[in-house]
Amino acid sequence: MSMSMMGRVSLEQAKSLVEFLETDQQEEADALIAEIQNPINSELFAEIGKLTRQLHDSLTNFNLDSRLNDLATAEIPDAKERLNYVITRTEEAANKTMDAVESIFPVVDKISDQVRAVNPAWAKLMNNEIDLKDFKSLCVDIDSLLITTGKETATIHSLMTDVLMAQDFQDLTGQVIRKVIDLVREVEDSLINMLTAFGISSDDVKGSAAPKVGDNLVEGPIVNTEDRDDVVEDQDDVDDLLSSLGF
Amino acid sequence: MKVLVVDDFSTMRRIVKNLLRDLGFTNIQEADDGSTALPMLQGGDFDFVVTDWNMPGMQGIDLLKAIRADSSLAHIPVLLITAEAKKEQIVMAAQAGVNGYIVKPFTAATLKTKLDKIFERLG
Repeated sequence: MSMSMMGRVSLEQAKSLVEFLETDQQEEADALIAEIQNPINSELFAEIGKLTRQLHDSLTNFNLDSRLNDLATAEIPDAKERLNYVITRTEEAANKTMDAVESIFPVVDKISDQVRAVNPAWAKLMNNEIDLKDFKSLCVDIDSLLITTGKETATIHSLMTDVLMAQDFQDLTGQVIRKVIDLVREVEDSLINMLTAFGISSDDVKGSAAPKVGDNLVEGPIVNTEDRDDVVEDQDDVDDLLSSLGF
Repeated sequence: MKVLVVDDFSTMRRIVKNLLRDLGFTNIQEADDGSTALPMLQGGDFDFVVTDWNMPGMQGIDLLKAIRADSSLAHIPVLLITAEAKKEQIVMAAQAGVNGYIVKPFTAATLKTKLDKIFERLG
């Protein structure tokens, strides 16, 4: 008798079988025979056990993934606030800059007007054609021009410093936006992990889930014009398109 | 010449106003979208409209169509200054009767060129 045959039925089982038959328990005897012929697959049991454990762990991990919860309840609202901060700061900067520039325009115009006013008499002086009366008046005008220029260049300088300082938003908004980009990346990773937990590979859904860019007519600034062929890249493209249409 | 500048961003209205003032337009009024702009146009004797496309409420393209559909306003030249850069949109604006189309970001020189062209055509 081979080893494998020895493994099929135990002495105990054989004794039970004899006992069942001797005591006229036919059903029990048949059941025992069936059990001996179809031994329960211990490998299958082990596999089911492993899967059960994995499922249990996955569900537990899923519950424990409080990161996802934090992202949804705290960090995304926080990101919205951060982006609003960017809007506010850039708007402030634009207004500060325009305040300064709009204050500089009239100052420059004033100096330019005074220069224009002295120019004819100055030209006469340079050509030795000026008389004493005009010369005296020229001296008064130039005196006034020097005073204006001296005073107003100091004003312009200070306003230019305001323009310079208004650019500090770039550093601050840059940091804020970088944080939001990190958050978006983290949300993306979490969502991919979730898909993986449900046995969906991110490649499976990539094609079907790809956003159909350009579905909406009004899209705002196009940030990747070089990757798109349905948009113009610059004003020259617009002009070419319009003239090709006969406009 | 009386000009109406329509944009939902006050900073952009301010930029356009400054550029227009530099080009000699001094009578400039503002509206923050098409639905504010249209009654202003119907109520006042405007000679020229500069408008953005993407605005809450009535969009620039709809304002343009409304202007062209209103016989008392139809003659007013309309210049679009917008970030909208889809060819489809530019064609749509042209078909709706726009007089000029400038894509943001733009320069003072571009604005001057387009204005010169618009008023040269109108004679």
